[in-house]
Amino acid sequence: MRLYALAIYLFLYIPIGIIALFSFNAGRHASQFTGFSVQWYGKTLANPFVMEALKTSLTVAFLSATLATVAGTMAALALPSLKGRMRLFFDAALYVAVMVPGIVIGIATLIALVTVFDWVNPLLASLWPGAEPPQLGLGLGSLVLAHGLFAMALVVIIVRARVAGMDRSLIEASADLGATPWGTFRQVTLPQIAPAVLAGFLLSFTFSFDDFIIAFFVAGPNTTLPIYVFSSIRRGVTPEINAIGTMVMAVSLILLIIAQGMLQRRRA
Amino acid sequence: MTDRNDQISRDTFIAELMRYRKGSVSRRHFLGVTGLGAATAVLGSAMPGLRGAAWAQEGIGDRVVLASWPNYHDPANFEAFAAATGAAVDMNVFGSNEEMLAKLQAGGSGWDVFVPTNYTISTYVAEGLIQPLDLSRIPNYDLASFDARFAEPGTVDGQVYAVSRNWGTTGFAVNTAMLNGAPKPVSWKEFWDMTMDAFSGRSMVHDYQLTTIGNALKYFGYSFNSVDPKELADAEKLLMDAKPHLFAINSDYQPSMRSGDAWMSVCWTGDAKQLHNDMPEIEYVLGKEGGELWSDFLAIAKDAPHPDAAYALINYLLDPAVNAKEVLFHGYPVADKRVLALLPPEMLQDPIMFPAAELLSPLEFGAAVTLTDPNRAELMARFKAA
Amino acid sequence: MRQGTRNALLLLPAGAWLLAMLVLPLVVVLVFSFGSRGAAGGYVPGFGLENYLNLGSRWQAFQNTMTLAPLGTLICLIVAYPLAYYLAMRAPRRWKTLLLVLVIVPFWTSILIRSYAWIYLLGGQGIPSWLHAVGLGNPRLINTPFAVVIGIVYGYLPLMVFPVYVSLERLDKRLLEAASDLGAPPWRSFLQITLPMSMPGVATGSMLVFILLMGEFLIPALLGGGKVFFVGNALVDLFLQSRNWPFGAAVAVSLVAVMLAIVAAYMRFTRRFAGSRDDVSLI
Repeated sequence: MRLYALAIYLFLYIPIGIIALFSFNAGRHASQFTGFSVQWYGKTLANPFVMEALKTSLTVAFLSATLATVAGTMAALALPSLKGRMRLFFDAALYVAVMVPGIVIGIATLIALVTVFDWVNPLLASLWPGAEPPQLGLGLGSLVLAHGLFAMALVVIIVRARVAGMDRSLIEASADLGATPWGTFRQVTLPQIAPAVLAGFLLSFTFSFDDFIIAFFVAGPNTTLPIYVFSSIRRGVTPEINAIGTMVMAVSLILLIIAQGMLQRRRA
Repeated sequence: MTDRNDQISRDTFIAELMRYRKGSVSRRHFLGVTGLGAATAVLGSAMPGLRGAAWAQEGIGDRVVLASWPNYHDPANFEAFAAATGAAVDMNVFGSNEEMLAKLQAGGSGWDVFVPTNYTISTYVAEGLIQPLDLSRIPNYDLASFDARFAEPGTVDGQVYAVSRNWGTTGFAVNTAMLNGAPKPVSWKEFWDMTMDAFSGRSMVHDYQLTTIGNALKYFGYSFNSVDPKELADAEKLLMDAKPHLFAINSDYQPSMRSGDAWMSVCWTGDAKQLHNDMPEIEYVLGKEGGELWSDFLAIAKDAPHPDAAYALINYLLDPAVNAKEVLFHGYPVADKRVLALLPPEMLQDPIMFPAAELLSPLEFGAAVTLTDPNRAELMARFKAA
Repeated sequence: MRQGTRNALLLLPAGAWLLAMLVLPLVVVLVFSFGSRGAAGGYVPGFGLENYLNLGSRWQAFQNTMTLAPLGTLICLIVAYPLAYYLAMRAPRRWKTLLLVLVIVPFWTSILIRSYAWIYLLGGQGIPSWLHAVGLGNPRLINTPFAVVIGIVYGYLPLMVFPVYVSLERLDKRLLEAASDLGAPPWRSFLQITLPMSMPGVATGSMLVFILLMGEFLIPALLGGGKVFFVGNALVDLFLQSRNWPFGAAVAVSLVAVMLAIVAAYMRFTRRFAGSRDDVSLI
């Protein structure tokens, strides 16, 4: 049993070890180790396109996770008391949003937005008073909204489960004691659902940060980190990709350890 | 940029370049020996206005987005361009003209400069995806010094939309060490037959309808550009039969050929030259039935976000000295006489870059109809999904 | 404020989002799927069924997806179950958290980079050359269905380990003690207690992995060499290469239809099987 577990851990970590190993390769080719060097880390950090892709990824992940968490939590609070056809619409739409593969979401968003833009842009141009009317196009906005869609559905599901398990008598008591709905929300509801909201935010952030396929279709001229890595692999393999991967993993590992530490401190 | 590397002889330069590309010397050593570093530094200090934020603010911007092909540009040239103008080159690599067209058609590509092949330009014009060029902004473009055969497709209805970058052929590369004494193949018939026999699992074709379908058509002696349904049906049968025997369908075949995973691949001139330089056992074959002769162009996308940088990059790449360095890197021939004059004489004799006339004469230029023909597009998609 | 108004306001952002980014795009895809391809690609409005009648030409991609997605899910489960069992039942208490974290950490690098490691490992200079060195031939591994399955297992293993671990962890250990006190051999108590009690976790994990695999594009693209096509790859090809949007729309609609049908059937099955639905919920 223990041997089996060991074998699985080796299976999980040997490829990662190899990525990390080759990131210290002095040579230009990722497949032949020609000496130890940290030059690829310097090159990667100095590459403006890597840094910009990272910034884009972080911005999109933060915005989509924030919007998804706010909209999703709001919906999760209202949904239990919703009845009838509207309830059916929300349940069905959320179910589909989680179920439909990212690739279909990407394609559908692409063709829908391109069609809408083709229709809206001439209209905008004819109505615009100035000489240069704004042109709507694929970009950060469409990417944030497309990523946030799946994330919002996730948040609704997670938070709704928590709302269902909430002690409703506290809310009633708070209302009886004359608290405003907002006061009740802040002082009673929010503390109870906070862990679910936070979990939803983190999941949404990770999903957006890692996503390749939706961004591939709707990012327009923007490059996210996964898109950059994908085109680097096509451009010819260099240890730069290994350096990016190793750094991303190291940072996530550190964040994970910090988060774990904070949780344990709170418990103690 | 007009430095001619007078400090060292051409032979030394080539030798150093090859050593650099094999990774045995550092970039700094290479730049030092060849004087490129000095030239770049001198250029930078002689024209302080070219550097730094002042230029970036009033100048051409801090970037130019390029859509091009694998193994096609010398990174050192881009670094020099960025050092001189403040605009870094953001390169995207594509495996087929269809992929470029699809990205442009969807809108929001964000590209400034792209590299279309001869037969696609009329379609880009018809679809309104390409800008007419203001030649006064490309002083390095001198029409008279270009071979008209390769430069002409850039002009549509009397308007220049694209300027010649270089030309080449589409043949196949074969690792002769894997032949086990069998004679080197010389025809597309042998390419496909070997793929399905001795080289099963070791052969690659492009992820590109023009060359993959075209060279399957050549097996039967049909035109490379055929859109005849019966001929396409024959090609499809061959492709479907060969598919289980292919190593991969991918337009970037250099890594697999270098690692020894693949032994034979449909191949463009420059890739063959690069592979052959590093691994002499990899040889280039132009199928005796014919195949493709092509020329690539530099063009500006209709909605280019950085048009000034786009013009600057095109003008820079057409500078004969810069272009000569590009050729030394990528190994594709150019149509520009001024560049040919700067190349080492033995390169002009190179049989991969400049094949014999009898091998060139049966080759065909790609035809515009192949880009838009729905049957060819669907055949390729079916072949890949099979 | 009346509760109805407040509810409406609370639901407004989510509702608008779902309408604009889910319902509208899916309707557009449905409409496109009945149109035809323009001369240079793109979409020409129309109403015909030819795109759906042409689906047969992508049969192989559907077949690959429908075999490799369940197969990948099954192998993931077979590999993950013993590990989850070890972590829940046998692992030393002190090490448990660390061991669990170690399962997720690889999941924190993008699947792109993890698959990329396998390009090297399965390529000619990786495992095949090591096998060759010890005289075991020189098999071709990269660009085969085998490589794709390896990539799938590697990519999605953590997603399977977790739900199974959670359900095993929750299992009341006293049941097992009672069984052993009553003289049941370990294999019987495993088959009659542990396995049935862990079914909710198995169902959740399998569903998660299966859903993601049905829309997979990257793993076959990177490890299949353009030869092992999933429906996702056929879709990317239709939109980004052969520019046949209407046909691509029809393929997308069919993929979603197939998935919803399979998931619905599966849920009905597991609901009957597992009784309670609480643990089987997707997330």
